[in-house]
Amino acid sequence: MRESRLMLVQYVTAVLAVFLVSIHLFMQGVLNTYDTAISFNNILSVYQNGLYATFLEALLVVTLVHGFDGVRVILHEWRQTAPWSRWVDIGTILAIVISVGYGTRTVILAVLG
Amino acid sequence: MLSSTSKGAERAKNKRGIRGWINPYHYNLERWAYMFQRVTGVAILLYLLGHLGDTSFFVGGPTGTGPSPSGWSFIGSIFENPFGHLILVLLVLVLFFHGMNGIRLILAEFGLILKKPGAIEYPYEAKSLGLGQKYLFWLGLTVAVIGAVWAFMIIFEGWL
Amino acid sequence: MTDFRLQVQRFNPTTDEEPKMVEYSVPRREGMTVLDALLYARDYLDHSIAVRFSCRQASCGSCGMKINGRPRLACYTQVEELGDEKVVAQPMDNFEIIKDLVTDLESFFSKHREVMPYLIRSDSHEIDHPSGEYLMKPEELDKVLQFTYCIKCGLCTSSCPTVGTDSLFPGPQALAQGYRYLTDERDEGGKRRLEALDTAHGVWRCHFAGSCSAVCPKGVDPALGIQLLKRHVLGGKAPREEGAPVWRQDAAEAPAQK
Repeated sequence: MRESRLMLVQYVTAVLAVFLVSIHLFMQGVLNTYDTAISFNNILSVYQNGLYATFLEALLVVTLVHGFDGVRVILHEWRQTAPWSRWVDIGTILAIVISVGYGTRTVILAVLG
Repeated sequence: MLSSTSKGAERAKNKRGIRGWINPYHYNLERWAYMFQRVTGVAILLYLLGHLGDTSFFVGGPTGTGPSPSGWSFIGSIFENPFGHLILVLLVLVLFFHGMNGIRLILAEFGLILKKPGAIEYPYEAKSLGLGQKYLFWLGLTVAVIGAVWAFMIIFEGWL
Repeated sequence: MTDFRLQVQRFNPTTDEEPKMVEYSVPRREGMTVLDALLYARDYLDHSIAVRFSCRQASCGSCGMKINGRPRLACYTQVEELGDEKVVAQPMDNFEIIKDLVTDLESFFSKHREVMPYLIRSDSHEIDHPSGEYLMKPEELDKVLQFTYCIKCGLCTSSCPTVGTDSLFPGPQALAQGYRYLTDERDEGGKRRLEALDTAHGVWRCHFAGSCSAVCPKGVDPALGIQLLKRHVLGGKAPREEGAPVWRQDAAEAPAQK
């Protein structure tokens, strides 16, 4: 059942990403003007909002998992030797952990102020 | 099966290779959608990684320790220009397409927008390639273009 | 009637390193198919052209090849419908070339065998000593009918973008037949079938490019079968349990199915 579990993750993150990215774009360009949204003080104040910080963290995890899993699929289809397959799986997990880690660091540092 | 030492053995394998999925010429609309879905997906992921990098300058970059106005204005000086804004508009275009096409794919891959199997008659129009999901593709493309135009108007507000 | 240009990819892997395109001038005849043109070229212009064909009426699946860039049956493609100045015949992609337009179908057949394209039943005594037929209601037949029309021509597998790079992928033909047997009301092998398909290179490497259904000459629509299959694989439950009642010849009416 394993591959279908991974595909379920891909589908669930896809649907979540559609919502979360839409909200992110809405906040960055529609709720405020673009220039206001990217101003330093505005960003500082929204990070102080716990709900928004959580939202950004969720956006980070969902989009990166979806993206790297997609690349994993493309790479698995490209070559099928045993070493390649093993390293693609390891590389995907590493890539997700490192990029989620780096993004979470930004969120935490911004929230702590 | 051919021996691997014959002169043309490698070419004889005749695998279409990466060309197979990058080049959808001669094929159906859904094949083009598949190619664009992959290409836009990779493009968005690359942008996302860059975005993680540039937003981290809010806290001073990889070596920072907390919110840093100087770090933020530094990254702004690199990206806040017409070229950077144009990248954002293109991003919205590919993002909306990827999302809408992805929804079409999820609906189709669970058979929700496909016709049921049954008796078929010549000229054998494939039930899976019906109008319903072709319209969804064009709707996705339209939403992507409208979204990109809207993003252009928002981001380039001062310039219009 | 004017002649038209027929370009054929010539390649003998034992003596050539690369294929080359050779052009022949063929007189047009009304109702001429690409197979007719190829056989004319072989019979009158160049006896060394290798081409595989049999029924000439789109029911054996032997003459699959790439014609003007798209997989088609040569006997089923009119020269007129191509509408181009020239007709270009090349062997099907993703199949090993034996010579010129003839490809090796062995790996294609072995992938078909891997999906267990036969009814699997638990009543082994009945299988070996059948007392009568297993019956199907018309609506049960409708669920599998179009997938039974497959003539194993290989055009779908040739057009599939995943097959181009993934050598472990079964291909649309095998997957569609896997669905055909999974949904067959008389089959009890659901669990085994689902396990075989739920691998890293199984049904999930299909991304619904739909080229298989676009090129299928018999209307099998393998893409439809594969998308319907995904639902079963995701759920993990076989449509019928082992030992589920089957309509037998001597029964008055069909048993109630879930």
